[in-house]
Amino acid sequence: MKRLLAIVIDLLLGAAVGALLASVIVPALLDAGETSDVTTGLYASALGAAVFALAGIFAKASIGGVSLGIDAPEGRSIRIVSHLGWLTLAVFIVGGWIITAISPIEFFSGDGLAGAGRIFQALVTPEFDIIGEALSAMVVTIFTAFMATVIAVPISFVLSFPAARNVMSDTPLTKSIYVVLRIVLNIMRSMEPIIWAIVFSVWVGIGPFAGMLALVVHTVASLTKQYSEQIEDVNSGPIEAISATGASRIQVLWFAIVPQCVIPFLSFTIYRWDINVRMATIIGFVGGGGIGTLLTQYQGLAKYNEVGTLVILITAVVWILDVMSARVREALR
Amino acid sequence: MMQPLLSVRNLTLTYPNGYQALKGISFDVMPGEFLVIIGLSGSGKSTLLRCLNRLLEPTSGSVTFSNHDITHIQGEALREHRARIGMIFQHFNLIPRHSVLKNVLYGALGTTPTMNAMLSRFSDDATQRAHKALQVVGIPEKADIRADSLSGGQQQRVAIARALMQEPQLLLADEPVASLDPSTSNSVMSYLERINKEMNTTVICNLHFLSLVRQYATRVIALKGGEMVFEGTPQEITDEWFRTIYGDDAVEVEIR
Repeated sequence: MKRLLAIVIDLLLGAAVGALLASVIVPALLDAGETSDVTTGLYASALGAAVFALAGIFAKASIGGVSLGIDAPEGRSIRIVSHLGWLTLAVFIVGGWIITAISPIEFFSGDGLAGAGRIFQALVTPEFDIIGEALSAMVVTIFTAFMATVIAVPISFVLSFPAARNVMSDTPLTKSIYVVLRIVLNIMRSMEPIIWAIVFSVWVGIGPFAGMLALVVHTVASLTKQYSEQIEDVNSGPIEAISATGASRIQVLWFAIVPQCVIPFLSFTIYRWDINVRMATIIGFVGGGGIGTLLTQYQGLAKYNEVGTLVILITAVVWILDVMSARVREALR
Repeated sequence: MMQPLLSVRNLTLTYPNGYQALKGISFDVMPGEFLVIIGLSGSGKSTLLRCLNRLLEPTSGSVTFSNHDITHIQGEALREHRARIGMIFQHFNLIPRHSVLKNVLYGALGTTPTMNAMLSRFSDDATQRAHKALQVVGIPEKADIRADSLSGGQQQRVAIARALMQEPQLLLADEPVASLDPSTSNSVMSYLERINKEMNTTVICNLHFLSLVRQYATRVIALKGGEMVFEGTPQEITDEWFRTIYGDDAVEVEIR
């Protein structure tokens, strides 16, 4: 199984090196612009993969094998593997430089620096006329985060039990519920809240409601995972003791597991609200309402003094919440 | 002839990982006995106790309690069976942040409707019995203190009170004094003895220290590698038996 994975790694690396060389690095050197031929790229990847595979067979060791810890090459093999490794790294760095369009000339150009200077100047001379508008938008953002957390907590609490392995290990049925739930939650969590915000801003319209729904989805996925890991961590002694009194399943959850989890749950929840305030700001950029939306509006109008005010306000609020939530979590321990 | 309270026949238990913890155990327990099970760690003592109140389900064989075969019961019948048997543990297993009184009341969970219990609505009768149980174990004044603020010995007494709440016909004790110091150990053991003698509750207790076995047991069985290697009175455990049970290198340690 590991050998198969090692071969896949080698083939992918070889293909990537071939494609980068043929489609990115060589055209850039020839100054051919971005119009490179797809077929050439494909042939080059196949060739690269073949070379890496042959090198692997020849050396009886490969990059994939070494990185998974199943090959321990010596002598000439180690030289082949390390040469290939360095080649790969070099091609990746050069190719990456070209792809990300890194350009020191633009970074240090007079025009560019002057533009950056203007924006920085505007940011540090904030326009406080909009402070009323900014504060009310900030209130929207904070409460978007707060309501998302409040709504997500009971849902996460209920879901965290079927998502905990030790609660669900009794029968094949409960085990499969656990597995399915874990997969769904992982998918939900892998989708960034900003994507959920785009979905919900179409669904319920742009505004704080869309932002809140996006945060609810992400918060449920994250909190359920954290809560359920806490449940998996509880001391099994009280579970045995409460079961031994003839308590029902629900009673065992409520009297043996929940008391051991309350404090960590509270701690996770406060931290999650803190995170949600930051996320609510970002979500505002794509139509989630609140201070993020205000920020994109002023940025679109190139009113950087106003943007400066908003940036200061956001920084202050995030910093205060961060300190407060850290203090509270410290006290809960 | 008196009926045994508990009959264990050819009991085996194999864990899902293939480990055979019990390899065919048979014995009877008469009402009022103070039976002590001895044996090395890993000999199957804890597994055996957990088969009796069915925290574990045996692989084969049978357990009969008060003439009911409880080997494979499930659901409501299992809850009722567990409620009839009290259990105390090496690490006490109290709910740490809850008060002593609440911890004792949890002994009544098996007979309290789920919703009432979750809303902390225990009957007046249950609350009275809980206070009484705390009196029996000599700490009535600790009722409103958090359970985790008590000493080890006191926590074990709360655990005994919780078991008494069940008004059990049988009390299981899994290494009840293994995490206590010698003097506290004797105090906890003497409470078990009083419950055995004064309330006529049958006790089955796992123990390590032979001195305690000699002092409290009315009968002893010894397990080794999941098999029963000795059954008799405490007086019958000679040095030779001792080496058979605990291995040739073992030296008996006294606890007073």
